[in-house]
Amino acid sequence: MTLQDQLEAYLTRIWETPARVTTISRIPGGASRETYRFDVEAGGRTRGLILRRDPVGSLIDTERKLEFAAFRSFFGVGLPVPEAVALEEDGAELERPFFIMGRIDGGKAQSPFSVAPYGEHARAIGEQFYGHLGAIAAADPLTLPIAEATPAPPLDGCWKAALDYWEGVIDADEEHPQPIVRACIRRLRANPPPPAQKLSVVHGDYRTGNFMHDGAGKVIALLDWEMAHIGDPLEDLGWAMEPLWCYGETDRVSGMLPKADAIAIWEKASGLTVDPAAFAWWELFASVKGQAIWISSAKEYRAGGLKDPVLGLSGWYTARRQDVILADRLAALEALS
Amino acid sequence: MTPTVPELLLGNFLCLMEPPPPESSGDFLQARIGVTGMIALLCAQEAERGIAARVWENGAIRALLVDASGGYGERFAEAATGVDDDLSLAALDASNAALRRALIDLHIAVETARDAALDTAIRALYVKMADARRLDLPPLPAS
Repeated sequence: MTLQDQLEAYLTRIWETPARVTTISRIPGGASRETYRFDVEAGGRTRGLILRRDPVGSLIDTERKLEFAAFRSFFGVGLPVPEAVALEEDGAELERPFFIMGRIDGGKAQSPFSVAPYGEHARAIGEQFYGHLGAIAAADPLTLPIAEATPAPPLDGCWKAALDYWEGVIDADEEHPQPIVRACIRRLRANPPPPAQKLSVVHGDYRTGNFMHDGAGKVIALLDWEMAHIGDPLEDLGWAMEPLWCYGETDRVSGMLPKADAIAIWEKASGLTVDPAAFAWWELFASVKGQAIWISSAKEYRAGGLKDPVLGLSGWYTARRQDVILADRLAALEALS
Repeated sequence: MTPTVPELLLGNFLCLMEPPPPESSGDFLQARIGVTGMIALLCAQEAERGIAARVWENGAIRALLVDASGGYGERFAEAATGVDDDLSLAALDASNAALRRALIDLHIAVETARDAALDTAIRALYVKMADARRLDLPPLPAS
């Protein structure tokens, strides 16, 4: 039975009307989930949808229930977020857990390894990118569906929950000793940030490459919410500005606009302020989190029989780049006293 | 550092030898081939520089451990013993793993002692270590 047959059987059952999948193709990227675009005819109507199915091995061990809840939380509230359509945690006809969401057509996502990925539209896209992130930070997570899928840490426990999680990933998956990221983790623990100003939904992977734009300066879809959780809103801001996501650029963040401008846009949209000392902690944390992901992808690459080259490249090349960033950040810190 | 060059090149072969299902041809297959090309390109760099980087790193860590052993214990000098006679990547990585573990232990001891000078020296070594292993991906044009 092909994937197309499985989808037709599933949608026919849940919609209680014959469903016919007319086109289906896998989309590159999305290493944590297999992602397919497809069109389906049912009840005299054609819909464009996206299927996100758990792979055998993945870049990040994530809960599809969480991502689904994140889409439900922000669809229809003024942000460009696709509609959540269906979730099957036991896999149903598709054999592996999956969810289906609405498709937003007419856009493209840029590789973070591209030079000047947004060209003449960089500033306009940057204003929307950081404005949308501020809007996410401003929302009260406890009133949203995501609160049903993930715990809310105390304001003074956000940093520790995040650091404990990603250090745990490194402990579990490290296959070669990593002195640089280990030293960074010790510095973070020894110098914790102040409590979060508020609890927010943290997208978890808000960066260049994880949104679509229309090629004319408009952001049309915020994607890849698989690492969403509740925490300190500065976590997302630090991750968005991680140097890994702006290839070869030092004067702009995310390949979009100057850092000070991005922070000002975020502050205006969120109603929050960025404390420089607190943000410095979250910036270093972002680089640690990145290295944890690349360490994990190296292990998955081996465990999966070396067949996913994205995992191989992430666990090797990207890990090396992350080490350069981490070492530079660590060297720039004040001396011990 | 993982994965290794032999694994990556074997992986390139394995991921391309199986015909993809119909829904995974087109853009997905094209992107996958592109990634295998990047890996091959970077493997060429690793073949060119990888041994020299490891020999240098192992030597630098050994020197640091020996220098620090006077203040932090003979166990660090003992960890630095050994010579990299076998210049294969696998053998160099094996000795590198042991040396990195000793370096982590030393750095923790240095931090506990609030030894700012040696801490700064270790952090400077990290910068050189990361730079020596750097791989250079040619910038990709925006699509």
